[in-house]
Amino acid sequence: MKRFRREPSGLLVARFEAAEAALLTNLAAQTAELLSEKRDAPAAVADPALARLLPDAYPDDPEASAEFRRFTSDGLAERKVLNSKAVVDSLEQSDRGRVTVHLDEREAQSLLRTLTDIRLVLAARLGIERDGDSGFRGTRDSLTQSLTYGWVGYVQESLIRALNAPPRR
Amino acid sequence: MTPLASPDTLEEIDERTVEQPLTPWSTIVWNDPVNLMSYVTYVFQSYFGFSESEAERRMLQVHNEGRAVVATGGREEMERHVEAMHDYGLWATLAKVDA
Repeated sequence: MKRFRREPSGLLVARFEAAEAALLTNLAAQTAELLSEKRDAPAAVADPALARLLPDAYPDDPEASAEFRRFTSDGLAERKVLNSKAVVDSLEQSDRGRVTVHLDEREAQSLLRTLTDIRLVLAARLGIERDGDSGFRGTRDSLTQSLTYGWVGYVQESLIRALNAPPRR
Repeated sequence: MTPLASPDTLEEIDERTVEQPLTPWSTIVWNDPVNLMSYVTYVFQSYFGFSESEAERRMLQVHNEGRAVVATGGREEMERHVEAMHDYGLWATLAKVDA
């Protein structure tokens, strides 16, 4: 991946290798799927990944938490799904080979949030509970997921730096 | 200034609205092992409009102390902030401010 930079036009540009773009597309689609399934699930959120995506607002008051969830979780899940879909779209514009994305502010915000959601899901799957935990548990699966988790963080860090950089004239 | 409510308007006032000025609520952001420090700072700056140094100060408070209060006010407003934080993927809750 070639890091994000802000073009004079204000657009945020980065280049992904084909495999990287495919991986991100896949992860974004999985996140959207997880959040779409949520509507069919019972009110109690049993999946730790979903619980982290749609957390309790009142940890000491189950009743108030349930009410808050009733009023907000559909909209929250829907916005997250839309963000994921926007990411899938921005990565799709190119054919085989490398993918260069040119994101406007709105698309950049979708990517920023989706990268967070992807990391939250991966962290829940890896059982990451403390600062500094990489999630590697000595298995091949956890190694792959842990490397992916780190890489998605790298993409996000790169995007944040570019967002913070004023456009150069 | 809040005028005295006459008995017939009093009935229409939502209990929550009356409660607000007396018991303010706070929006709390909790530390999590996932979100990048740069991201939390970015969210505090762009959503709450904190200066870079103020956003960093609060981010470090979350990181070092496990939590930070990022806003105080009426309950509905705090619920909107918490929902916005959940949009960003931050772990936020609301609580009554201790008297």
